[in-house]
Amino acid sequence: MLSLSSSLRNRGRIMKILTLIAVTALHAISYPALAETDFNTHPRFDIDPKLGVAGDFSGTYKYWKDTQAIEQFASIQTNSDNEWKMNGKNMDIVEDDFHPGHLAVDEGEKLVNLWEHREAGFKSCLGAGTTTLEGIAANYPMYDAKLGKVLTLEARIEHCAKKVLWQNFKQGSPVNASIALYLKSLSDGLPIQIDVDSGPMKEAYLRGETLFYKRIGQLNFACASCHTPGSIMGNRLRGEVPSTPFGDVSHYPTYRSPVGEVEVLHKRFMRCLKQMRAKPLKPGDPAYVDLEVFYTSMSNGYPIKAPSIR
Amino acid sequence: MKKILLAALMATLSACGTVQQPVNTNSASTSPMKFPCLSYSLSCGEIPVRKPVKKPLSGELSGNSEEGRNIAFTKTRGNCLACHRMKGGTQPGSRGPDLTSYGNLGRSDAETFALVYDMRWRSPDTLMPPMGTNEILTEQEIRDVVAFLQSSK
Ligand code: HEC
Ligand code: HEC
Repeated sequence: MLSLSSSLRNRGRIMKILTLIAVTALHAISYPALAETDFNTHPRFDIDPKLGVAGDFSGTYKYWKDTQAIEQFASIQTNSDNEWKMNGKNMDIVEDDFHPGHLAVDEGEKLVNLWEHREAGFKSCLGAGTTTLEGIAANYPMYDAKLGKVLTLEARIEHCAKKVLWQNFKQGSPVNASIALYLKSLSDGLPIQIDVDSGPMKEAYLRGETLFYKRIGQLNFACASCHTPGSIMGNRLRGEVPSTPFGDVSHYPTYRSPVGEVEVLHKRFMRCLKQMRAKPLKPGDPAYVDLEVFYTSMSNGYPIKAPSIR
Repeated sequence: MKKILLAALMATLSACGTVQQPVNTNSASTSPMKFPCLSYSLSCGEIPVRKPVKKPLSGELSGNSEEGRNIAFTKTRGNCLACHRMKGGTQPGSRGPDLTSYGNLGRSDAETFALVYDMRWRSPDTLMPPMGTNEILTEQEIRDVVAFLQSSK
């Protein structure tokens, strides 16, 4: 039975390879001029991960690089053709101590303290050894040598809930999101700092970068089709204008006022994937983790804003 | 030798029907699982992008321009307005060329049909989705859209 199914699978694989060869051959015969193009990817840009957020390729960084710049260039928000250049960061300097993102932070804090009270060790698991949770969120995603994998903050929360509390705080769930937002708020104002120079983090970065340029879905878009210079970025797609991917991670999870809930980064990925008519994956999916590493590197050096509202 | 190999491949392929693209009858009902995705484990993660097709227009255009406009403006159908200015359309996108008076360009029905079906044979890196190849629109829907474009003056 086992060998039958595996030989079937092999046959499937061989058929797939044959198909590829045949389609490629046919294609080469009918359109020799196009043989150079890789139709599976969007053209790439040189991004230097060492530059972090300052490596922004959209030319808009100067408008949103700090509070001073955002205030100085406040007038571009009033022009619908230029508004995208603010990268949404104008939302971060509006004084609003009462939006529901703050309630989610409180909720997260309560949950952490409540569970720590029931099962001592939850906090030190979240802190990967330390119980001081201030500042830790700025260094996620990170490689955890003990677990042998790259963890996002939300994955750490899920892991600790399972290990210490015997609870399932699934990534993307409101419980997980409020704790993540609480932990992020303990790093509010600190610059994001992850290291993708070597080892598993570099590998994750490179995979994430490849995914960013991969053409997917029925509409044949890559993330790059809307979030790189020369693409749809900066152009109206009916109501919305896609902006630069640099600096995006710093305000996630964010309170999304149109839907009235805290949205984690992976849920935002899902929304873009639905627009692309591509299969959306679940929060925590390994492909999202790689994308998050790539995205976070593009926010390196930019201060965290938590809670935020969008 | 090459020819024989190709013929053999073709025979195997048509036997199991993998090269044939399924006929689309309803543009709104296509599953995303039939197209490439980001997953490392689902089957869609391994699907390659469909190759460009330069689709010939067979017979008369026989498109309905009223219906074509409807298709072009509807988000869940052609959604051409997301990227193009079009005659009578409101809140257009701005990335693609202005098509409000496309009918004055004197382009043939066949060329227009082939471009909307799949722009990639002309511009390999285009941002415009391959409406026919990826079953976003049926052949008849593309004929209708072309009729609308040709009537835009
Ligand atoms: C069809 C165009 C389109 C594609 C393709 C697309 N996006 Fe987006 N994306 C948008 C628009 C529009 C917005 C909202 C405006 C903005 O913030 O850029 C957005 C916003 C985002 C945001 C939130 C930005 C913020 O500041 O809050 C992230 C993160 C994001 N996209 C990631 C992705 C990823 C990852 C992919 C590929 C899987 C992708 N997008 C593909 C159009 C697109
Ligand atoms: C995501 C954006 C996008 C969408 C959606 C889109 N287009 Fe386009 N279209 C473009 C771009 C960009 C071009 C420029 C050609 C190129 O890429 O080389 C173009 C070019 C064209 C052209 C050729 C114009 C010329 O002067 O050569 C036609 C015709 C056209 N589009 C029709 C349509 C129709 C009809 C639809 C809807 C069924 C549509 N487009 C949807 C982006 C789009």
